[in-house]
Amino acid sequence: MKLRLKGGRVVDPANSGTSLVRDIVVHDGRIVPEEAADGTEDTYNVDGHVVMAGGIDLHSHIAGGKVNLARMLMHEDRRAHPEPPGPLCGCGGGHAVPTAHATGCRYAEMGYTAVFEPAVVATNARQMHLEMSDIPLLDTGGYLVLGNDDLLLEMLAEGAGRQAIRDYVGWMLEATQCMAIKVVNPGGINAFKFNGRRLDLDEAGPHYALTPRRILTALIGAVTDLGLAHPIHLHGCNLGVPGNVETTLDTIGAAEGLPLHLTHVQFHAYGTEGERRFSSGAARIAEAVNANPNISIDVGQVMFGQTVTASADLMSQYRNRGIADPKRWIGMDIECDSACGVVPFRYRDKSFVNALQWAIGLELFLLVEDPWRIFLTTDHPNGAPFSTYPHLIRLLMDKAFRDAEMEKLHPAVRAHTNLASIRREYTLEEIAIITRAAPARIHGLSDRGHLGPGAVADIVVYPDNGDREAMFSRARWLFKAGRPVVRDGEVIDLVEGQTIVARPGFDRHIEGRIVRHFDERIGLKAAHFRIADEEIRDGAGPLIAGRG
Amino acid sequence: MVCPFCGLGCDDLTVEIEGEAVTALPPACGNAARLFARGGSTEAAPLVNGAPVELASAVAAAARMLAGSRATLFAGLGADVAGLRALVALAETVGGVLDHDASPGLFRALSTAQRRGWIATTIAEVRNRADVVLVIGADPTPTFGRAFERLVPPRPAYAQGPRRVIFLGGEPGETARAQLAHAEVTVVPVAGSLADALVLLEALLAGRRPVADGAVGALRSLAEILGRARYAAVIFEAAALPEEEGDLVVEAAVALVDTLNLKTRAGILPLGGRDDVIGANQVMLWRIGFPLRTAVRAGGTGHDPAAFATGQAAHDTEVMVWTSAFRPVPPPAFAGRTIALAHWQTPFASPPEVFIPVATPGIDHGGHVFRTDTVVSLPLKALRRSSLPSVADIARAITAQAHGRAR
Repeated sequence: MKLRLKGGRVVDPANSGTSLVRDIVVHDGRIVPEEAADGTEDTYNVDGHVVMAGGIDLHSHIAGGKVNLARMLMHEDRRAHPEPPGPLCGCGGGHAVPTAHATGCRYAEMGYTAVFEPAVVATNARQMHLEMSDIPLLDTGGYLVLGNDDLLLEMLAEGAGRQAIRDYVGWMLEATQCMAIKVVNPGGINAFKFNGRRLDLDEAGPHYALTPRRILTALIGAVTDLGLAHPIHLHGCNLGVPGNVETTLDTIGAAEGLPLHLTHVQFHAYGTEGERRFSSGAARIAEAVNANPNISIDVGQVMFGQTVTASADLMSQYRNRGIADPKRWIGMDIECDSACGVVPFRYRDKSFVNALQWAIGLELFLLVEDPWRIFLTTDHPNGAPFSTYPHLIRLLMDKAFRDAEMEKLHPAVRAHTNLASIRREYTLEEIAIITRAAPARIHGLSDRGHLGPGAVADIVVYPDNGDREAMFSRARWLFKAGRPVVRDGEVIDLVEGQTIVARPGFDRHIEGRIVRHFDERIGLKAAHFRIADEEIRDGAGPLIAGRG
Repeated sequence: MVCPFCGLGCDDLTVEIEGEAVTALPPACGNAARLFARGGSTEAAPLVNGAPVELASAVAAAARMLAGSRATLFAGLGADVAGLRALVALAETVGGVLDHDASPGLFRALSTAQRRGWIATTIAEVRNRADVVLVIGADPTPTFGRAFERLVPPRPAYAQGPRRVIFLGGEPGETARAQLAHAEVTVVPVAGSLADALVLLEALLAGRRPVADGAVGALRSLAEILGRARYAAVIFEAAALPEEEGDLVVEAAVALVDTLNLKTRAGILPLGGRDDVIGANQVMLWRIGFPLRTAVRAGGTGHDPAAFATGQAAHDTEVMVWTSAFRPVPPPAFAGRTIALAHWQTPFASPPEVFIPVATPGIDHGGHVFRTDTVVSLPLKALRRSSLPSVADIARAITAQAHGRAR
């Protein structure tokens, strides 16, 4: 299939700092130089439209056991959001935790073409992959959660060498068919199983006497030695605890200059100032991010309304269970590996805490200077469902709109945030960076997130509407690998995506120890834990990053 | 290899294969040995109205029946994940209610999980962390042959001191006692209601004065043991709980675990999962957004654990699609017409309009099933060459034909 997108304003910050009106030519699913056009292309006149690479979400909980638990708890949400009529979206429903099918369709309608699940519990990885087979239109991938798994902690406590840790991480990444390493509350989830109720960065946990800092630095070392593109993707200690800004700043220091990605930092940017003992630490964190080029963050913006929070961090979710809304929640210790906690929640604009969380997220977006090191996320569904992204984009691009929205909030918030004094408005180029170019770059996906020759033809065409929320809600066109799949915000064709994995080399001698651990401790064969290539995407197998 | 039948997910079995004959060897439990056993050929032709037909004719007959049905029930749902995904896709095409044969036990647990949630645990956590295991109700080993061998092995990694296994309102049989020879086994009989006993136990642990004083004696020492446990695992076979109070027992057990977690750690582990009922529920949640017992209808898909239970839904059904690939289970009595995608030895009370004998996952073809703890799913392998089609093959073939006929 050949096509030409004619006359659009091409916003492609990975290749050009400024946007130009030019044509994009696609042959066989890839972008080719305009000179390569042979006149047989189907032409789409996109005059007056904005053309970007397909969106890439680097942190969105879209598949796996905790998402299904959330679906089970959120039956009212599913009932309130029935599947749309028509054959293509037949069984996609739900809002806070949509079905696999709806996830693919709703993301595609907004112009997204790749979404990565950021918390894969190793022993549940197979379920995530089975679910991903049912997500249409999106390329996917998962980040493997390590740092609370008993085998790793046992190895660290025994003083295992850096190479052994590297090999263990390499083996686990391959066995679970994941693309990056996530660390969630390092040591904390494990400590909770030994009845530890909190664990700070430099506090030794129970049983193994390891500090979160030690676990984190060991895993940073492992991904460095494995040569993974994405740095450790860290959900730090003390999520949601007032005063955790100090922990977050200490954690930035703990990276010792090595690359580290801090995720949903909004939830880790709280001070204890003011009469309510809850204040914004966003400015201090932004300052640290600006000063440390090895650090990147995503925000985890809060938006108002009903959602559900789902996390591997049971230590934190147990603390939060009292604020469940509706009043129900599920926690689970998992397989000497990890855990999960699922707590429904409604963020309210008249709540001081929720409103300040909203402001803290926006402060982070607006105060971090380098758009290549900050990413647009709501930590779907934890801060808000991903379908709120267009609204969030408008908040970032439109100061008057932002000010008007702030007027609706709990009045005390204005005294606790300097948001009103921040004049910055994101440009379209900056939006393109934080929603596609930078997520592709931080994963080393050189043929995604941009519109240069050789790139996969994941291309979105938006109407150039002054109302940026309307603009980013409904793509005029979306092309997935060169095929038109969305027109005027409606899915017109379903295509299968691919699942991206990383396959670094490592020394396979580590397997003996892992096999023993599975036999003796887990009561499951390592051979059955390991996921074969044929199990990915109904036999299609994974797309190995860096190997085309 | 992996055993797909009861939901415990034993994956250390060996089998002898000779041509089409299959024999599972120890340590397979008795149930597994029986369900794996295959003699010689299992050639079985599809039947339409009792007469042997080509597979294509049977598929066409099923598609015609479904296209003409105003109310369809997909029952049984005993299939691997691929089979379930294909059956759900068929239901998405023609509409219908979906429920599994093992749902009564599942929903006894879900009635609490959906409404208030719980703190759960998994097999490897119980194996290694639980210093006290509370077994509520009947000994699960008749159904889960290796339950205690798997859950309470002699050398846990983190549990300290002797492991205690307490049977509340049930008596361990010989198999359970043998598997627990290394543990301290206590039996606490319950004269009346099991749910009342659990409520009392929770009150004692929470430090509230119990209203009824009758059976407090034995429960007080049980409360002390649980209160001192570092990690208590609370397990029960949901399907085997007393019919009249099963839901209440689960709710009281969940409340007990909640109270324990205020000071120590504890988790609940319902035992269930026969014939991949957990996989069926998982597939429903990610594909449809509701658990089992859901009616898929254009624009109005809805979930109702009572109205869409097999027995109830069958009253309003014209065509039932009965799927049971793991074992020969007859479909429930039913006044309408039946399409059976079932084990070749299924005994039917009255012959179904369409019977397509299907392959067994984990014997005749590969696939996936979920374990009772819902977290782990296991890869199945084909053990022999079989000419029987899989549920997924048949469901896809019917969908392809029904697609053209449906509204």
